Amino acid sequence: MEFGPIWRASLRNKTGPILMALQIALTLAVIVNAVFIIKQRIDKITRPTGMDVDNIVTVQSFGFGEDFNLQESVPQDLAELEAIPGVLAVTSSQHVPLSGSGWGTELAGSSEDGAPRVNGAQYFVNADAVNAFGVKLESGRAFTAEDVEYPESFGVPISQVIMTRAYLDALFPEGGAQAGATVYDKLGNPVTVIGVLDTMHGAWVGWDELENVMLVPRVMPVESNYYIVRAEPGERDRVMPQVEQTLLATNDRRVVKSLRTHSEIRDSSYQGDRGMAVVLAVVVSLMVMVTGVGIVGLASFAVRQRIKQIGTRRAVGARRQDILRYFMVENWMITTAGVMLGSVLTIAVNYWMVASFELERLDPLYVPAGVLALWLLGLLGVAGPARKASAISPAIATRTV
Amino acid sequence: MFRYYLKLASRSLFAAPATTSLMVATIALGIGIFMAAVTIYYLMANNPIPHKSDVLYAVQLDSWDPAQAYREDLPEQAPWELTYIDAMALRESDIPRRQAAMHKVSLVVQPTRVDLKPFQAQARLTDGDFFALFDIPFVYGAAWSRDADDAGQLLVVISKSRNDELFGGEDSTGRTLRINDREFTVVGVSEDWYPVPKYYDVNNGAFDEPEQMFIPSGVGRELELFSSGNTNCWKDEDINSFEEFLGAECVWWQYWVELPSEVERDAYQAFIDGYVEEQKELGRFARPLNNRITAVEQWLEVRQVVRDDNKVLIGIAFLFLVVCLFNIVGLMLTKFLGKAPQIGIRRALGASRGAVFRQQLIEVGALGAAGGLAGLGFAWLALKGIQQLFPGFEHLARLDLTMVGIAIASAVVTTVIAGLYPAWRVCRVPPGAYLRLQ
Amino acid sequence: MLEMHHISKVYRTDTVETHALRDFSLRVEEGEFVAVTGPSGSGKTTFLNIAGMLEDFTSGTYRLDAEDVSDLGDDARSRIRNEKIGFIFQSFNLIPDLNVFDNVDVPLRYRGFTGAERRRRIEEAVELVGLTSRMRHLPSQLSGGQQQRVAIARALAGAPRFLLADEPTGNLDSEMADGVMALLEDINSAGTTIVMVTHDADLAGRAPRNVQVLDGWVQDTTQAIDSPVASQAPAELAVVGS
Ligand SMILES: Nc1ncnc2c1ncn2[C@@H]1O[C@H](COP(=O)(O)OP(=O)(O)O)[C@@H](O)[C@H]1O
Ligand SMILES: [Mg+2]
Repeated sequence: MEFGPIWRASLRNKTGPILMALQIALTLAVIVNAVFIIKQRIDKITRPTGMDVDNIVTVQSFGFGEDFNLQESVPQDLAELEAIPGVLAVTSSQHVPLSGSGWGTELAGSSEDGAPRVNGAQYFVNADAVNAFGVKLESGRAFTAEDVEYPESFGVPISQVIMTRAYLDALFPEGGAQAGATVYDKLGNPVTVIGVLDTMHGAWVGWDELENVMLVPRVMPVESNYYIVRAEPGERDRVMPQVEQTLLATNDRRVVKSLRTHSEIRDSSYQGDRGMAVVLAVVVSLMVMVTGVGIVGLASFAVRQRIKQIGTRRAVGARRQDILRYFMVENWMITTAGVMLGSVLTIAVNYWMVASFELERLDPLYVPAGVLALWLLGLLGVAGPARKASAISPAIATRTV
Repeated sequence: MFRYYLKLASRSLFAAPATTSLMVATIALGIGIFMAAVTIYYLMANNPIPHKSDVLYAVQLDSWDPAQAYREDLPEQAPWELTYIDAMALRESDIPRRQAAMHKVSLVVQPTRVDLKPFQAQARLTDGDFFALFDIPFVYGAAWSRDADDAGQLLVVISKSRNDELFGGEDSTGRTLRINDREFTVVGVSEDWYPVPKYYDVNNGAFDEPEQMFIPSGVGRELELFSSGNTNCWKDEDINSFEEFLGAECVWWQYWVELPSEVERDAYQAFIDGYVEEQKELGRFARPLNNRITAVEQWLEVRQVVRDDNKVLIGIAFLFLVVCLFNIVGLMLTKFLGKAPQIGIRRALGASRGAVFRQQLIEVGALGAAGGLAGLGFAWLALKGIQQLFPGFEHLARLDLTMVGIAIASAVVTTVIAGLYPAWRVCRVPPGAYLRLQ
Repeated sequence: MLEMHHISKVYRTDTVETHALRDFSLRVEEGEFVAVTGPSGSGKTTFLNIAGMLEDFTSGTYRLDAEDVSDLGDDARSRIRNEKIGFIFQSFNLIPDLNVFDNVDVPLRYRGFTGAERRRRIEEAVELVGLTSRMRHLPSQLSGGQQQRVAIARALAGAPRFLLADEPTGNLDSEMADGVMALLEDINSAGTTIVMVTHDADLAGRAPRNVQVLDGWVQDTTQAIDSPVASQAPAELAVVGS
């Protein structure tokens, strides 16, 4: 292949190729970093929550008036909700996981002073919580009706919990802790872990300790709580309106609000991440498009400028494929210069982003993937103009002055 | 001469409609995307109360855990909110011209109109000064008094929209409104107020809707109202009643003061420092003295109201614009050099380099203006898309006249900059070059 | 060497048909030097393009080297152009981005010679046209006559048996034209068949055989001097021979 002459010829008309190489370099830097961010956001959005999110309906009951008593209303509400056909399990819950609002607390793995404390999300739930959330019990047991407490004040210490494996391991970093372990609340009261969950997500999706979750069998002395209603597969949308009607019929001294599917709640919590991913994807596509058009434009210009020279080459014996290859090679050299510069730029942009924002370091494999993509884009972009060039008649050599 | 150049420019632009539209579209895309990102950024970084932002201060006292800072990632910071005890104590100072303690509460409104069901609504529990402090005008009536705050009188100010909804828009002052099964008296109807960002309380989102009802600060104690915003506690306390909760080391109150000058500011800083020193004697405030009064704009910065994602997007949108500009330079170079023989003849006929250069720049300027206009269209589309993606961000995604001006100006400026090199190249075409060759 | 029988060429545009050649027949023997003359627009270039297989023709047959080339595919024609035919154009057609060396190199590249072989041929061809000292110059740094000599070197470097020249002196003053003509005569005397289109009567007169084209027809064939074909055995071209 005639790399030498092509390279020397490109150097003569250097502005166009330099612009193109710079453009490709920037494009590489942006798309690699953007695609990396998109991938991370998608991973974040789609990580398993541990719950049967797609079949859950949640609703808030907000009592008002002196005569409303949540602790009395809960058992009755649960019975009524469970009776709805298509409902698999129901629990009351002080908050809804993944909703962005919740209750956090700290536990310790030992009662000694100064023992490290670990943050976790705390859900005050009812007997059937494990079923209602659709979480998987790894070991130990679920709650029973006898476990559920109705304390008259906030301060009554909790005595037993079910918690996630992640939380248990965080409390006992040496590992191996099992159901039956004892943990300690802020005041040093012992709490028995009666069950361990595989995975369950807590309240704040942006929080590092999202997987530190515990369930407490208790109905608090407050006016408002949620119901988590898990429907049989496919029954959710049919069950949903009945949930509201049932609660209103049971007691009208309350406001029944926020009737939402759990997947809707999850989606709105991840709205920022999803939005960012979509916006980046749009910008990446536009950028690829603009750069693609740029490559086509530059290649067409190069062809138009050299019509006579192409005719001459054909006249002295170049085959169509030789002409095709000439432009392919020329473009490939420009693209290659661009991606080489671009790889450095990509890393630099990533360094800057990691230093300025809470972003992760780029997985280095993304760079060669981006390089391949741009090589391909370059070849696709030049294919049309190069094909046109190869169709130029050799007679051009004698016909143009 | 300028008109002649314009004529040449329009002829040249219309002569190759495909190239011209490609260039305009490229500029428009670059400018449009960039403007959309900038618009969002500009509204997020907006000064919500420009005429007062340097006299309004958020107050912080570091009442947090001696063992660790409130935010481990921001160790120099004090808690964002105050305890009930401290908020009430600060109210005793007469240094600020105006001041208000506040937090968000969730209430159930039971309308008298039979067609309206009881509903839950967010309200702000605060002092009567709140309205004057943040410059919220009244449609009817006025704010309540300090006495009403202290006594926890059941009074309420509702916004104009809520008044439309509950009372059909008439002057409702003096009417009663049933809230949480108690009779509240409406004392005022305030104008709808939508600061962007919602600077007075950014704890649960800086861009969501402000509350539409306001009740005196003392009512909280009366009705045992917890905050429906953020409550954070650090101390191992055995809390068994609302009364105990009020005395606990839990932060849940925001506090704003208006300090008209440096003098008041220094006096106020001395006052809060003095207060904390006193409290230290009583065994509270075990952390080093770290009391802060922060003006609005700094406060929004400290609270990171503009999110990292938006900064990343601005950067990426900017790089996208640069790529579009490189593309434009390439296209213009192509176009101008294509005209080189014609330019050579013009030069031979006596056009000076300057004349050729000016002619090209005018052409480029026209392209930029067209690109800017079309770019507004793209920006508008992009913002529409963003509204779809981020429900609740409607108020962040709007174009105003400033942005229109900036869009067109930046399109022209960037395009002309991009056009400088091609124009320079083409004006250096030697007059004879295209006459001699062949 | 070259045999055209009843060739016709019609250019079709949307509205008009131009009959550039009608029933055109011509035979050129190995080693001949033929000058083709005729008024502008008579079909000279069309004839040369067809002879050099730059263009298709509408009807008739064309045999080159006793091989019927009427129906060859594009790649085969490229190969024949590359191996058997050398071109010289009125406007030189040097590639402006390439220096003398790289310009002469162009056909050799497509021939697939090794680097050393190409270098040897380029140096010999450039030396033959007397431009060894200008090897690294760009076309824009050369005079018209020098440019045309580079073009001749390029045409000769591949050692073609058949040289086609379309008004090779059309863009040159008479002194330069003279030099180019002398060069062509040398090349012909070394055995290469040459067909040269020209409108310069003096130059045409120097060629052993003249053909006149009028309105697409071969109107007249003058045999001014005896054809050298008989007296001269086809020999390897001096330029590339030894
Ligand atoms: N591509 C073409 N399309 C249409 N007509 C053409 C084309 N090329 C040449 N001709 C016509 O063919 C005729 C012969 O042209 P040409 O061989 O170039 O003449 P010469 O070289 O003798 O001046 C002319 O009338 C010319 O206008
Ligand atoms: Mg001709």
